[in-house]
Amino acid sequence: MRRRSFMGALCAAGSLPAFGWAAAGSPAWLAAAREPDGAYALFGIARDGSDLFRIPLPDRGHAAAAHPTAPEAVAFARRPGTFALVIDCSLGTVLHRLDAPEGRHFYGHGTFVEGGRVLVTTENDIATGEGRLGLWSRDEGYRRIGEIASGGVGPHDILTLPGDVLVIANGGILTDGREKLNLDTMRPNLSYATVAGGVDETVELAADLNRLSIRHLAHQDETVAFAMQWEGEETDPVPLLGLHRRGEAPMLARVGLAEHMLMKGYAGSVAIADGLVAITSPRGGRVHRFGLDGVFLDAHDRADVCGVAPGDRGMVLSDGLGGLLTLDASGLAPLSKADRAWDNHMVRVPV
Amino acid sequence: MRGLVLTLAVTLAPLAGHAGVEQAVDDHILPAVAAFQADTTALRSAAEADCTQEAVRPAYQSAFDAWMGVAHLQFGPLEETGRGLSIAFWPDARGMVPKAVAGLVAEADPVIDDADAFAQVSVAGRGLFAIEAVLYGESYDADDYACRLAVALSRDLARTGHALAEAWDAYAEILRTAGEPGNAAYMSEAEATRELYTALMTGLEFTKDQRLGRPMGTFERPRPTRAEAWRSGRSQRNVVLSLEALRGLAAELAEAPETDAAFARAIATAEALDDPVFAGVADPAARFRLEALQQEIASIQTATATEIGAALGVSQGFNSQDGD
Repeated sequence: MRRRSFMGALCAAGSLPAFGWAAAGSPAWLAAAREPDGAYALFGIARDGSDLFRIPLPDRGHAAAAHPTAPEAVAFARRPGTFALVIDCSLGTVLHRLDAPEGRHFYGHGTFVEGGRVLVTTENDIATGEGRLGLWSRDEGYRRIGEIASGGVGPHDILTLPGDVLVIANGGILTDGREKLNLDTMRPNLSYATVAGGVDETVELAADLNRLSIRHLAHQDETVAFAMQWEGEETDPVPLLGLHRRGEAPMLARVGLAEHMLMKGYAGSVAIADGLVAITSPRGGRVHRFGLDGVFLDAHDRADVCGVAPGDRGMVLSDGLGGLLTLDASGLAPLSKADRAWDNHMVRVPV
Repeated sequence: MRGLVLTLAVTLAPLAGHAGVEQAVDDHILPAVAAFQADTTALRSAAEADCTQEAVRPAYQSAFDAWMGVAHLQFGPLEETGRGLSIAFWPDARGMVPKAVAGLVAEADPVIDDADAFAQVSVAGRGLFAIEAVLYGESYDADDYACRLAVALSRDLARTGHALAEAWDAYAEILRTAGEPGNAAYMSEAEATRELYTALMTGLEFTKDQRLGRPMGTFERPRPTRAEAWRSGRSQRNVVLSLEALRGLAAELAEAPETDAAFARAIATAEALDDPVFAGVADPAARFRLEALQQEIASIQTATATEIGAALGVSQGFNSQDGD
């Protein structure tokens, strides 16, 4: 029923100028998945968890960047992929294919700045191992218009804060393909930058936490939550979540030893909603929630859970078994189930 | 009757997922959980009657035996609030258990006199491995702090055993109602089957790589004191008991003759090792027998994947298998 009404909207939209995200049948989230036959696709997902559209991807996807106003999204290949697809979510078509320049690969995340006129992608300069931020002009059909330094090695997630400030999770891990090369010497950081001025603030954790890779980001106003992955013994009681405001020291969110070990030293995604932060561990099949003050609230079990994004109320989670679930004050509840494996991330579409 | 159901089930391809779950809960999980509750209660009674080392050891050994019947069920009730780790904190790469126990003893920490407060002590300072450190560590007298610690640890474990049984009463229903509206743990019957299959495969991996692999270390550097529960002489016994428990779970999931035969071979090898704490890891001949046992467990994994996994249509996690 929903699908049919979407198809109706689709036909109508074809002959009309873009009307913003409502034209796409108002997807609430975007997520990539592997399908039963092994193919990969990006899905637009309605509030009730049903599919609004499906767009085939040439290979495994990772995250997507939703345009702030137009019903357009960029789906990124998983690292070390070299493609990104710009998708018209109202027509269900691919508008452009972005290919990483020679000697670069994508890390799987990106964001828009300047009101959606410029797309910023996290990339690796393969020859030097330095992180780069690729710049693409939407007005010029996503032409590559330049790049700046990311401020570290292995830039992964990136977000736009108020005032077009970019926040970048430089994971610190030098890779060849998917092989990790520098675990002993890695130095991850959280960097802040503008397109015009480059990196102007870098936050590093204590030296004994150098194996704690800063990977994924969420923000509420100017508070940034960063989720991390530990490249050491699982029993080492290191934090997997940090909270930061510019100009201040980072605050690390701690949990007890048992809760820590159940996360297997690994947070795969992070989201903020309703004044709470959630991190997911697919390895532990576990979700942790904290207050924005970094105080641990509770844990929830769900096998192979990874994607997490704000929902209408609380959060929405996705997992490798094809499940979408809501997580709010009353706990976990099923939303929908499909015959596919949801990939690492869910992206909330701007309302 | 059960044999008949299984025979019918294997003629359907793929298997209807739910049949094995119901049986595994009723015939495998709940009896093992009840046995663990009973044996940890008996351990508490033994320690309360006489807390000296010699007096408590037999009940500790029985409770550990019972733990091997549930240790592979690492989901749901054992993951709630870190319950499983508060029962058995192993492997302990950083030596946190002996440190936690030594810390309590050194300070004669009065936390042992308050059960609620003791339940908040770090999981490394509680459970079977903390009890082992007390019962098989430095000797003590009946009026020493260590004796009272043995009582407090046994009471805490019995309390956890009771809580585990209560949690399983509720969780059994969650497994049985897989796929029904509102069930967020199992959104389909197949997910419940997959949970048990994953526990089976993870348990095999754990016994091969941790229970055997940790003491084996490398050929150049064997690590016998990394064997599980070597202080209480249980390393080999734990391997045998874990394989027996996993064989029992496998039998509930599907009729799998090749898997069962592979279990039988590995269990026979494990029983014949005559190396109770894997002290032989430094001896080439004994080491060869442990390597052979690892190979036989790998064969169980292969047989399980092809015979049970394929029939159930399950595979391992998409996101949990490689990070990003």
